Amino acid sequence: MRHLDCEDVLREVWSYLDGEVEETRFLEIQAHVEECAGCGPRYEFQRRLIMIIQTRARQGYPIPETLRQRLFRLLE
Amino acid sequence: MPQQESAAVAEDRERFTALITEHLDGLFRTALRLTRNRANAEDLLQETFLRAWRSFHTFKPGTNARAWLYRILMNAHIDAYRRTTREPDIVDQDDVDEFYLYSKVQESDEFRRAGNPEEALLSQLMEADVVGALEDLPESFRAVVVLADIEGFSYKEIAEILDIPIGTVMSRLHRGRRQLQVKLWDFARRAHYVRADGNAPSTPGGAGR
Repeated sequence: MRHLDCEDVLREVWSYLDGEVEETRFLEIQAHVEECAGCGPRYEFQRRLIMIIQTRARQGYPIPETLRQRLFRLLE
Repeated sequence: MPQQESAAVAEDRERFTALITEHLDGLFRTALRLTRNRANAEDLLQETFLRAWRSFHTFKPGTNARAWLYRILMNAHIDAYRRTTREPDIVDQDDVDEFYLYSKVQESDEFRRAGNPEEALLSQLMEADVVGALEDLPESFRAVVVLADIEGFSYKEIAEILDIPIGTVMSRLHRGRRQLQVKLWDFARRAHYVRADGNAPSTPGGAGR
């Protein structure tokens, strides 16, 4: 099997971070990223970026209590 | 026997309430991102709630309740809004790659001065920036990005929720994330100039505060 190069690894960044690559591939990429000074920081940055997007976008939007009550009254 | 009938309905109502309660925050948040408008988001959530209740008898216990609810939300959204608003043509930014934001930070003198430029940028991204960037995405990209990045669904679940092939999920997600980075860079750069050296922005002739 051909060894992964940086281009291969960078192309799969999203699938990898999303947990959407199969086990063998995952381990290959993981090993490369841990060693590689070029890919390592890029992977880390993308991981943090998605994490921050999620944290920020989830902040402060609970369903308003009045709306919740209105919804459940529809069931009566 | 009306007595029995109402007991069955009461039981259904109880099961439905238990099922939907834990997902209401997520559904509301997603409705806000889809409609970009508080009043429309409330309407969309109400429509979703009613449709879910009406088709609750078709829901199979033990299957993915969350995906089922989001699918109803998406369909209600499409029915309500997509027929009134035409999606503008999607312009793909071919010069933008997956690592747009990382590259921009690396190239930026302002951020490099911060010592840890990546962290300087990421810690600066505020809720309003992220929400603003999300809301600027074309609708079809936004739906996929919200489901993946905010709500944490897998590619397969998103494909089922939106009724599109997994390949389409991936391409929209990747393109959406690229565009998101372009927007976030705009916000971050603007904010950074403002906060540089800890001073207020030097507006010409402005007295400052």
